Amino acid sequence: MSANLPEFNLVKPSSIAEALAAFRDQPHAKFCAGGTDLIPNMRHGLFEVETLIDLGQIVGFDAVTINGADIELGAGISLSKLVGRADIRERFPAIVKACEKVAGLSHREAATLGGNLCLETRCLYYNQSEWWRKSNDYCLKYQGDICHVAPRGNRCRAAFCGDLAPAFMVHRAEVELVSLNGARRLPLADLYVEDGAAHLALQPGEILASVHLPAARARSTYGKICQRGAIDFPQAGVAVSCRKEAGVLQFELAFTGTNSKPILLEYREPLGPKTDADSYFEALEKQVQKSVSPQRTTTTAPHYRRLAVAALAVRLARGLV
Amino acid sequence: MTKPRHFHVAGTPVPLVDGLEKVTGRARYTADLTTDDALVGRILRAPRGHARIIRIDTSRAKALEGVRAVVTGADCAQSYGVIPIAMNEYPMARDVLRYRGEPLAAVAAIDAKTAQAALDLIELTLEDLPAVYTAKEARAPDAVQLHPDKQGNLEREVHHSFGDPEAGMAKADLVRDEVFSCAEVNHAQMEPHAALADYDPERGHLTFHSVSQVPFYVHLTLARCLGMEAAQIRVVQPFIGGGFGARTETLNFEIITALLARAAGGKVMMHLTREESFLTHRGRPQTDVALKIGMTDKGKITAVKCEVVMAGGAYAGYGLVTILYAGALLHGIYDIENVKYDGYRVYTNLPPCGAMRGHGTVDVRHAFECLLDRMAHELGLDPFAVRRANLLRAPTFTPNDLMVNSYGLGACLDKVETASNWYNRKGKLPPGRGLGMACSHYVSGAAKPVHWTGEPHAVVSMKLDFDASITVLTGAADIGQGSSTIVAVAAADILSVDMSRIRVIAGDSALTPKDNGSYSSRVTFMVGNAAIEAARALRQKLVLAAAKKLESLPEDIVCEGETFSVKGSAQSMLSFQEVALAALAEEGTITVKGTFTTPIKAQGGKHRGGAVGSTMGFSYGAQVVEVTVDIATGLIRIDKVWAALDCGFAINPLAVEGQIEGSVWMGMGQALSEETRFVNGLAVHANLLDYRVPTMVESPDIEVHIVETIDPLGPFGAKEAGEGALSGFPPALVNAVADAIGLEANFLPMTPDRVLEALIKQRRAAKRKVAS
Repeated sequence: MSANLPEFNLVKPSSIAEALAAFRDQPHAKFCAGGTDLIPNMRHGLFEVETLIDLGQIVGFDAVTINGADIELGAGISLSKLVGRADIRERFPAIVKACEKVAGLSHREAATLGGNLCLETRCLYYNQSEWWRKSNDYCLKYQGDICHVAPRGNRCRAAFCGDLAPAFMVHRAEVELVSLNGARRLPLADLYVEDGAAHLALQPGEILASVHLPAARARSTYGKICQRGAIDFPQAGVAVSCRKEAGVLQFELAFTGTNSKPILLEYREPLGPKTDADSYFEALEKQVQKSVSPQRTTTTAPHYRRLAVAALAVRLARGLV
Repeated sequence: MTKPRHFHVAGTPVPLVDGLEKVTGRARYTADLTTDDALVGRILRAPRGHARIIRIDTSRAKALEGVRAVVTGADCAQSYGVIPIAMNEYPMARDVLRYRGEPLAAVAAIDAKTAQAALDLIELTLEDLPAVYTAKEARAPDAVQLHPDKQGNLEREVHHSFGDPEAGMAKADLVRDEVFSCAEVNHAQMEPHAALADYDPERGHLTFHSVSQVPFYVHLTLARCLGMEAAQIRVVQPFIGGGFGARTETLNFEIITALLARAAGGKVMMHLTREESFLTHRGRPQTDVALKIGMTDKGKITAVKCEVVMAGGAYAGYGLVTILYAGALLHGIYDIENVKYDGYRVYTNLPPCGAMRGHGTVDVRHAFECLLDRMAHELGLDPFAVRRANLLRAPTFTPNDLMVNSYGLGACLDKVETASNWYNRKGKLPPGRGLGMACSHYVSGAAKPVHWTGEPHAVVSMKLDFDASITVLTGAADIGQGSSTIVAVAAADILSVDMSRIRVIAGDSALTPKDNGSYSSRVTFMVGNAAIEAARALRQKLVLAAAKKLESLPEDIVCEGETFSVKGSAQSMLSFQEVALAALAEEGTITVKGTFTTPIKAQGGKHRGGAVGSTMGFSYGAQVVEVTVDIATGLIRIDKVWAALDCGFAINPLAVEGQIEGSVWMGMGQALSEETRFVNGLAVHANLLDYRVPTMVESPDIEVHIVETIDPLGPFGAKEAGEGALSGFPPALVNAVADAIGLEANFLPMTPDRVLEALIKQRRAAKRKVAS
């Protein structure tokens, strides 16, 4: 029942190329950035790791590059640095709001953008000590063969709980992944897979190097359902963006904490000057309730999380009108 | 620059004497003690909720290189427990294990890795037994029995009746009854558990450092479980990072650490993880309160009937005291003649419950204050008016023979009513916002300790030596509540010396006199009185020496501000040092002591269990809470709290304020978000993410009002200040929510999911009502 950090080798590459080479030499290694989630998970024995490749020393990994109206964020940028950027705050307010709602101040100093986007999924049957999980015959996510959340199902239901992903998704962010085979770029939503035990589309040895934000064309915001104003992961979180096109408003919403991946909802119904706002938002609320499927991955009831996040989504959307 | 010197410090705000070490990080807690030469202790815990232990094979663990000792339940056949008549726990389970997480075996090894590897090599052969996790399951007719001598899994049932409850109910204009369900909570003290045991095999001596609130119990229990003479044991208490009752009982890991040290013939350091600290538990049990109150249309309570069922976990612990407290403290706050109480403490296959801040009273007070509010509403009376209609008049004895010598509840009501602008704002706030209030009380020390020895309840020693410093020796454990500061203030005030002249040495059985420990808010009252008596004895010796030197009569000597003079003559003034040396010249180093013993009349009624709840004085509190409720998400925000507490006299107003804020805050945690959760007996809450202690973000503005009634027996007139304000918060919150959104909740905590569910039910019920 030890909470001691297991022994491991630490590699500190100073470039992405070196990091990729280090992985080639140690294919069972894990990449680590701020470590605010990884290290507690290691203490809990949630995976075996012989080697950690620390991306924190990579030169330029936290760089911000402005390409005209586009912004490219290095995956190593800390959440507190993101919060401190006036351009992000002004053009992508959901992102700053989401950053500010992560854990506490000291975590945000260390935690990185890439780390948050690649955050491990969470479940009350998984985020426990070795003694606990062994006493419960382990689970599908690690060392076991049954998902205690949905025992009849055949996949892990652990929930993705990163705050940042939905905020970037409603701004149509893309991620750049690099490996020894080269680089590829995909919409952030495509980084994720609806499987709690394998929720990232990253290939072994692939690093999330940067995030591209296209010119902001929408106003946005982010909110989360949690009982406390600090520390808590979202029981459910929602980012909302609102853009005006041809005289009508269109909403895009993205959710976290409800599924094994962040869920994007591109709401096709336009809100025009003659639309009845109350019935519009009532329909939106129903649509949100249908779009998310929280499970018994936390001590807070799934039904509540569904209702509350839908109510919050509508409140945030109304605030953007 | 010289610091200003304060001589009459009682009643003035004083920073805690050990505060500097704590805020600078210099304080050394048990886990900080040097352990270069210590083995690492680790505990193997039960993987099942209820099972017969067929075999524990430790041979492979013992054979592992680097392992110095392995112990199991077979190594300690001596049961223990805080209540002498209910010792049914072993440090490690023998024959049967009764909850998931119960210690089964332990190892001491050269490092943590080896210790863990050794635990993994211990082979368990268990035969599962059916398990019961709720009081209802445990009380079912065919339920498995946890303890063969406790039929129906009842640890203790209490049936008390005072006055004529039936006649009282018959006289009432309004009778209402409700059932309230309060979740189990844990202390979640900042410092995880730890112990350091050093066994000297040549001398057969044990030196033991631990996080205990009651080092004296630890001392006795170690002697009992290790079969040692108490004289061979020294218990030392380092800095303590909070207790709140979690560490009142001697805990299994403490005995295990000592057993390992003796088996290894050396030193063993045991650090428990946060999860293990939660599993060690001793928190407030899940409690159902079925309450019935009869009231006249003027708001006077005519009778009370209360049935309490507590799911207490797998072992007795403090259980029988908790269930007795729950009934006894129905009394002592209001003037109620007719009270019937039925209490049931039930065994379940969960970690054992114990004492927690506001021991026994919190959930019952919650139910009581909620129901009072609803009845007031029904009768068209103001919540304050209903409380005022039932005030006691001190001095008095309650129907169950609790002594009430001072009573400031009325003044507390006045304070918070005015401060919150209740009259102008209650019922007039915008939708979703509300005001609620409630009252509470708590004992200033149990008048009769559970280990009854006939000794004084507290002893304090003082030493004056050649350096003219005063060393105060006390066994009282400062667990953060400021008890060492109280002792220092009492000494400085009576001797009229600067605080810098006083040094407090606390909690080392080799140096300090025995103390009954830091529980039931007894320390300020009892140890404070003992310190005053010791200081007076020392002062008398100094006055005699000054009189001799000044060639005057002792009764003419004025001792003031570190000087001694003859009344009316300032010319012949002697300094404190001069008088101290003159006194030392008579007899050498001076040692004096003071004691405190509770008067017999304070020790409760003659009925069975009548000692529980008895005290020298009760603190009284009234609280107003203002909330905003978000009906879309069920989230409750606490906007402001006004809390008044009658603590008799605030010896250190700074500490009193801190204690009241802390009590309110802890009550807020229980009311809003804190609860233990188990899945098939496995604790899923055992970390600080899932056990939701409020953060600074949720902490509201708490406006504290201190009421002073000068208790005739209290030190300087003081009573307790560390617990009384807690139990007022949850009902004030629930009453405020009712005011804000019309939801009458009968559950704790008021988590957003429960609130939303209750709102949905309420809306459905309203629709049905309209439809029919």
